[in-house]
Amino acid sequence: MADTEKDIDLLEALFEEARRDQPTLPDDLSARILADAEDVQARQAAALAVPPAQNPAATFAASAIGMWCQFRAAVGGWPAMGGMAAACAVGLWIGLAPPSFLPDPAEFTQLSVDTTALPYDSYDLAVMLGEETE
Amino acid sequence: MEGLPKVSASPDDEVLLELFAQGDQRAAALLTERLGPRAFGVAMRVLGNRAEAEDVTQEAMMRLWGIAPDWRRGEAKISTWLYRVVMNLCIDLKRRQRGGYLDLDAVPDPPDPAQSAPEAMQDGARHDALQAALMQLPERQRQAVILRHLEELANPEIAGIMDISVEAVESLTARGKRALAALLAGRREELGYHDG
Repeated sequence: MADTEKDIDLLEALFEEARRDQPTLPDDLSARILADAEDVQARQAAALAVPPAQNPAATFAASAIGMWCQFRAAVGGWPAMGGMAAACAVGLWIGLAPPSFLPDPAEFTQLSVDTTALPYDSYDLAVMLGEETE
Repeated sequence: MEGLPKVSASPDDEVLLELFAQGDQRAAALLTERLGPRAFGVAMRVLGNRAEAEDVTQEAMMRLWGIAPDWRRGEAKISTWLYRVVMNLCIDLKRRQRGGYLDLDAVPDPPDPAQSAPEAMQDGARHDALQAALMQLPERQRQAVILRHLEELANPEIAGIMDISVEAVESLTARGKRALAALLAGRREELGYHDG
């Protein structure tokens, strides 16, 4: 048998013995591992047992959800919420693009840019207010 | 532990880990019994130092306990995951040692030729010879050879553990085996193997 083959055979024999001779877990190491396991279980159980009130993030989220539920119930549930949303949308539409038979809402608020709305072209607000108080 | 779910005769590792996450201490004992020796054995082979192997095993098992509540069933084998953690911990340990001090206990004892003479000491001498040769391999080669030839894992599983391709595993194991054969060349008689 060639030397290389003999060396490979030797290696295979050593592998086989090593596979048969697997190390066992030392008792003290096993005890330490189990003690760790117990600690971890206790911590995990404690984390699960924390009531939501002791968790600020959970408390905030719960209160926000609670307020929303209360509001929804107060206005009459989801159908009423849908009606409100539709009414808001129509109001916004009319406000932005009023039909021709309605007056411009800006005129009601006296905010339209109209030179006649100003007392005098060149007068500022202070002068205008001064004249009114005289 | 009254009221806890019963552990069947040989539940798989994932069932045990689920039971552990539910607070079953018997599951921890069974998992330690089943996975602990494998983690310790592979750490011993890779590190060549008992104290370090114990620390690595304890840390790897600690990580297993920690991940138990978040373990997603069917995604990976627990033993594969554990091997991977052990290998990474071994690499971290060696890196730290290279960056700082060298633990003299980590240097494997050279094989003692006197031990090979009496038959009773033969096994120990063979074990020492193989371990000393393994410790002379580059780290990745050593890991691949140990996982392939001592833990008898398949190449795809080793590739998953070492985060390399199957081809890279084949290359590492082939080179490692050749290097080991060269390191042990000519010691056949000394280690008690005779022709014929």
